[in-house]
Amino acid sequence: MEFLDLTIRQLHNELIKKTITPLELVKEALLRAKADNNNAFEYIMEKEALDMAAKLKEPEVDNPFWGIPFIIKDNFSTKDIPTTASSNILNGYVPVFDATVVKKLLDVKAIPIGKSTLDELAMGGSGTTGHLGTTFNPYDKQHQHIIGGSSCGSAASVAASIVPFALGSDTGDSVRKPASYAGLVGFKPTWGRISRLGLFPFATSLDHVGYFSRSVYDAALLLNLLAGRDPQDATSSEAPVEDYTRYLNTELKGAKIAIIKEIVDSIYDKSINSAFQKTIASLKYRGVKVEYVSVERKLLEALFPTYVVISCAEATSNNANLDGIKFGPYFDGKTYDEAMMKARTKGFSELIKRRFVIGSFCLMRENQEVLFLRAQKVRRMVVDKINEIFKDYDAIFLPASPTPAPKLGEASDRLSDEYLIADNHMVIGNFGGFPSITIPLGFKGNLPFGGSLTAKTFNEAKLLHIAKAIEDITGFHNLSVRTAKL
Amino acid sequence: MNFEAVIGLEIHVEMKTRSKMFSAAPVEFGLEPNTLVSINDIAFPGTMPTVNKQAVINAIRVANALHMKIDDTLVFDRKNYFYSDLPKGYQITQDKRPIGSEGYLNIKTDATRRIAIQRLHIEEDTCKQLHFNEYTLLDYNRSGVPLIEIVSKPDIRTGEEAAKYVETIRSIVIYADVSDGKMEEGSLRCDVNISLRPIGVSKLGTKVEIKNLNSIANIQKAIDFEARRQEALLLSGVPIIQETRRFDEASKETVTMRVKSDAVDYKYFTEPNIAPIKLSDSFIADAISSCPELASAKEERYLTIHGLGEREANIILQNKDLASYYDEAALSTKNYRSLANWVTGEVVAYLNKRDIPIENFFVSPAQLALLVNMIESKEISNKQGRDIFQEMLTNSSTVKEAKDKLNISTQINDDAVILNYVNEVLNAFPESIKDYKEGKDRALGFLVGQVMKKSQGKVNPGLTSKYLLEELKKR
Repeated sequence: MEFLDLTIRQLHNELIKKTITPLELVKEALLRAKADNNNAFEYIMEKEALDMAAKLKEPEVDNPFWGIPFIIKDNFSTKDIPTTASSNILNGYVPVFDATVVKKLLDVKAIPIGKSTLDELAMGGSGTTGHLGTTFNPYDKQHQHIIGGSSCGSAASVAASIVPFALGSDTGDSVRKPASYAGLVGFKPTWGRISRLGLFPFATSLDHVGYFSRSVYDAALLLNLLAGRDPQDATSSEAPVEDYTRYLNTELKGAKIAIIKEIVDSIYDKSINSAFQKTIASLKYRGVKVEYVSVERKLLEALFPTYVVISCAEATSNNANLDGIKFGPYFDGKTYDEAMMKARTKGFSELIKRRFVIGSFCLMRENQEVLFLRAQKVRRMVVDKINEIFKDYDAIFLPASPTPAPKLGEASDRLSDEYLIADNHMVIGNFGGFPSITIPLGFKGNLPFGGSLTAKTFNEAKLLHIAKAIEDITGFHNLSVRTAKL
Repeated sequence: MNFEAVIGLEIHVEMKTRSKMFSAAPVEFGLEPNTLVSINDIAFPGTMPTVNKQAVINAIRVANALHMKIDDTLVFDRKNYFYSDLPKGYQITQDKRPIGSEGYLNIKTDATRRIAIQRLHIEEDTCKQLHFNEYTLLDYNRSGVPLIEIVSKPDIRTGEEAAKYVETIRSIVIYADVSDGKMEEGSLRCDVNISLRPIGVSKLGTKVEIKNLNSIANIQKAIDFEARRQEALLLSGVPIIQETRRFDEASKETVTMRVKSDAVDYKYFTEPNIAPIKLSDSFIADAISSCPELASAKEERYLTIHGLGEREANIILQNKDLASYYDEAALSTKNYRSLANWVTGEVVAYLNKRDIPIENFFVSPAQLALLVNMIESKEISNKQGRDIFQEMLTNSSTVKEAKDKLNISTQINDDAVILNYVNEVLNAFPESIKDYKEGKDRALGFLVGQVMKKSQGKVNPGLTSKYLLEELKKR
């Protein structure tokens, strides 16, 4: 097996044994990156990565990230490396500071080899709206299926084994949905567990730093490193950082898992339902209690509209700093308002402008009460209901998506319960800031799909424990295009 | 028809904290443009706000000085709009829950009036714009500086009241060590809202806003002019246009700046990057109790305990550093009136003549107190005191060094000793006694001089005269 096809943990062992060096690893990763035909990259950090790797001589035995190459979604601020958020309004923008999570990874000598594509400004779920065009799903060499988004490039590069892990961001499922379409472990912890300093904000109260890996253990390792209070992020939690790997080698006994009936009932795909039920049976066999719970349909149907209102409103405000005056390309204009208008007209795609119109509309004085504030109240109702479930259950388990990766251009009926409920339920994890993870569950033909686990806030260790159990059940440890038996 | 002016003031105070309101970036004034810009100040993507604790403490102190209710939960909102001086495209401010509410200030013109203060809130400053004909320049050094905004109710009625109100607030923020309060530098800004209505009517007239006032004097002049302008219009039946005006110093008139459009919708919503912060009772109490003493408290002490006159007290309080100097000196003396005389007289005269601030004044408060004590205990005379003072300044010496250098030995005040000298002199100059009895008043002066000569100038001249007169009566 080639080294880049390994997980972080496995690769670390090889690096310690010196069967491979960081420089060799990075060279191979760069080769694979340049050979990538899925349009996963905004920028390949060839010189920077080689320079960093060349300096690493003595492996650090207790540092699992030493010499490990990785990829960063292009909405994380990276010092001296162009960062565009896949939007033309930031073409050529070079930040002067690193995001906290980037800094943490650099400090442990992990090696970033590139910035990956995303749906423009992280606003999207198809992986088709970035300014460089569609990012494809490596599982479909015909390029007919999407990989989802908004963290499309990060998902594609980890699924294609270019690197063992990649940073992403999750505002409405933007790590966990593409993880399902790409057969990956996609994880976001509790809101505030990982610092957002340096993450270009989409919707502040929903944004999370997340990441892709190919094993649950790797996800736990990353959380150990990235979690923690950041004095520059006032929303980051002061709760102590635990050892999130501590349950991963222990038996899962006495856990209680809930399944929301109305969500499962909205999923019609036979492969997915079958894999899901098989997994449940296996869990029960291992002594896990699995029960159905009910959540009012009305509440579930309100998930998507609530998300649209809150995310568009916050996004409109968060992106008001992009005005073509202070940084980024200058779009010309003789007065300040002309310069702003031109920048924001030419720099943003139509889809982005549409979201800003919706966001502004929801925040208008005469509309705020019935739109923005009401959406916040519905959000509170959803969170309360989910917390009620968590009083009696350790986690909620559901299919991560109603289908495997859809085809490009496939329209979905926005008002069907398949779309409203089944396609958007993972936003629950953003509403309440609940830690949530997608793990591979099965295949339909050549396309993978995943399962979604969500737990109460700050219960990451328990969540990862259950996720590991499912990983053991399915056997999809270190799944990639290169290791999948297709 | 008699009109009354209905005036409300909005004051912005720039706080002189060490760092910005929502970041740890340093604050410094007067630097070259754009030499102190941090990532937050220019709103690079991915930057986040953190709350400046000292700024919150400052706001609590000012709100307390204005007798306001302090909200124990700190909540911030976004005020969203696009403008070239607003880097984020929104300002972090307090809309729904200002830290201070429902306060007042008593101001004294010919009568004492209470001006109600609606709110006091914390926000961040925009960057500075310098407009020229062909272009506008942006300086981001100022972006993010902490501000306090104080909004009064429209209780003010005249330009003079407005001036007093602003002066009082200025004094509070300067003494509380919150701001430099310099209108000419922009660290204190005042916008005026003024409308007129017939006396006795409760409905408000059309409001005109006056901005860009750069001195307290101009605030008063602008208001006086605007009141007259509006009155003239109303009396001729011309309606007032709702607009923003500025004060033109040259013509001493208000001039249209822009006609006010309908109120802008700022789409306020709670700042999601800053969770509401609970301010404990002890935090608020400590903020208040640790506030440096305000002018009003000093004035109270000067008038009632030190027994100073209003005039002297006002002179001392005009300048915070002068008041500090006086206060420190007052720790070493109880001769307050004399001390005040010296401070408002000799000291101020010297400072003015040399155009130096009191921080650079050579004579320390303790030394001045020492000098005052020596004079008041009659150890030396007033004149000797002034001589010593000048000597100290000229040669940078202490009181003792100057006294020795000038050979001013301790004045003799002992009754027995003086009486002795007096009798000696009288015995030596019987003709002078005769002259004095014959009505030649100059004889007294001669005799005093002889006593001075005999004692090498050390006797207290006043006591000498007194005893001479007594003895002359006897002889």
